[in-house]
Amino acid sequence: MKIKFIFLLFIAFYLAIIVRLFFLQVIYSPANKGAYLKTNKLYPIRGRIYDQKNQSLVLNQNSYQLYIEPKKVDDKDKLLHLLSESLEVEEASISAKLDMSKYWVAIAGGLTQEQKDKIDKLNLKGTGFDYQTKRFYPEASLSAHVIGFLGKNDQAEDVGHLGLEGFYDRDLRGLPGFVETERDILGRPILIGIQQRVEAENGRDLILTIDKNVQEISKKRLLEGLDKYQAKKGCVITADPKTMAILALVCLPDYDLEKYYLFNENFYKNLAISDLYEPGSVFKPLIVAAALEEKKIKPNDTYNETGQVAVGEYNIKTWNDKYEGKISITRILEKSSNVGMVYIGEKLGNKNIYNYLKKYGFGQNTGIDLEGESSGYLKPANNWYSIDYSTVTFGQGIAITPIQMIRAFASIINGGYLMKPYLVQKIVSDNKVTEIKPKIERRILSQMTSDIIKKMLVSTVENAEAKWDRPKGFAIGGKTGTAQVPIKGIYDASKTIASFIGFAPAAEPKFLTFVVLYEPKSSQWGSETAAPLFFEIAKDLIVYYGISPSQ
Amino acid sequence: MKNIFLRTIGIIMTGLVVLNLFVMISGIIISDEINNFEQKTDKLHKINLSLEKEVASLNSLKFAEEQAKEFNFTNSSAPQYIDQLKYAQR
Repeated sequence: MKIKFIFLLFIAFYLAIIVRLFFLQVIYSPANKGAYLKTNKLYPIRGRIYDQKNQSLVLNQNSYQLYIEPKKVDDKDKLLHLLSESLEVEEASISAKLDMSKYWVAIAGGLTQEQKDKIDKLNLKGTGFDYQTKRFYPEASLSAHVIGFLGKNDQAEDVGHLGLEGFYDRDLRGLPGFVETERDILGRPILIGIQQRVEAENGRDLILTIDKNVQEISKKRLLEGLDKYQAKKGCVITADPKTMAILALVCLPDYDLEKYYLFNENFYKNLAISDLYEPGSVFKPLIVAAALEEKKIKPNDTYNETGQVAVGEYNIKTWNDKYEGKISITRILEKSSNVGMVYIGEKLGNKNIYNYLKKYGFGQNTGIDLEGESSGYLKPANNWYSIDYSTVTFGQGIAITPIQMIRAFASIINGGYLMKPYLVQKIVSDNKVTEIKPKIERRILSQMTSDIIKKMLVSTVENAEAKWDRPKGFAIGGKTGTAQVPIKGIYDASKTIASFIGFAPAAEPKFLTFVVLYEPKSSQWGSETAAPLFFEIAKDLIVYYGISPSQ
Repeated sequence: MKNIFLRTIGIIMTGLVVLNLFVMISGIIISDEINNFEQKTDKLHKINLSLEKEVASLNSLKFAEEQAKEFNFTNSSAPQYIDQLKYAQR
């Protein structure tokens, strides 16, 4: 009898266990899975961005998102009041987000540790925080257009937009991992249960060719220049002409990277890579170099500059309508003679002009590693009229981007190599460093042509009609440009794009800098606006690089 | 013979129960440690990011500029000696 009783007791006990297990594993299984089988997504850390000397330009920082579980809130008014004080926002804006019919509502993102601690101390029932990271810019918006910004997509995931953030988004983003562990009721892992962990792969870090000191010099000087010459906007690009590694790229106005959403999308546009403009006289050395290369002209040739030149129904004249008679090819560049350039263009021939424009890369993307590049426009050869071949010799009637201009110019002073411009020199992942080497697209000119044109450009600076406050003792080459702006097909004489492109030291150029000012009001000429600004930048760079005087 | 067998079974069963208890307690202790390490790793990760931010801020041009202004560097180091070396030699 006793044995039967014990037997029945055991049966009842086991049945109770079986029933409980049935409830836990079958009935409540899907709903309660999270209670004991915990799966967490492991978020990768977005890659950081450093300048060429490993100085930080973009890092990540701790950040928190405040949420409210409305069903757990006791006193809504008190909650709104206290949160409004802590977050320094209007009660109404929090109230608008707080939908009491929901289980979970996000209130504010991007909170700092201090803000979180402050709210934590209030012990507000129904509030909580989710951990996030957000971008931190130690140099603020020093390189806004180069870097781009981190926004959100439709699924509220981080997505890089424009600049490097956009172009290298897949490298910077990394791959998420996950961890799946069985946990007991206190949340501790059960060792004999499921333990699976796939580590997240952090985003790759980018090491740039940008030097933040050169970037700072360029931005500071450009800001002063915009103010001094009352220009609407402007850009400064500095590159190593041998490799086309970009050392600085600044366009103003720019925007605040931390608060990009407060700015109109016009501010996001990187003029250096996406704005089409007619370059004007800075284009002339490209045509002279092509004519020298094709042996259509010789450096010692002369041209008889007697007056205006008629091309079809148009008359082409010099900028001041003054003519010097017999002048050398170098003098054509020095005085920026449009009629002289028409002569060189005729010598070179229409077919060669068009071929060289293509060789210099106009009408094609440069392939720079920034999101948002425009390819410019080179109309098909059969749509060119004879006036087009004449005006293009002095940089009118062709639409290019500043980055195309500096790339083509670099090719005439670096021995004739058209290089691909680039900003990232290394991509660093946890276990691998990928180096990005300078890339030669093609060779356009011989070393001899390059050496000749460099000498001509030094002479152009030294004997230009305008006299600049140049650093004494340094051989600097360069060319001014003043392009008229076409508005609805008609050139507006009062609106110009003033530019200067120059390099130093002339023998072995350490830097090539292109300055573009849009619609300067103090003077319409590049020689009176962009050129002085270039020499201010050049002075700083000569000191920064420790370049010795050569003259 | 039967008694020896039953005793042996009893001893083994008791041993197994003790072992089971030991494994269970050890498991709980190790789980606690894992939990602690997870929390510490999270905390270290956050501290690491904060320190990285602080270092970068102190190393920034913005900070250098603020310091230069504070110490009056820009005003008291006018570069006149470059042109007039006699001042530098005095």
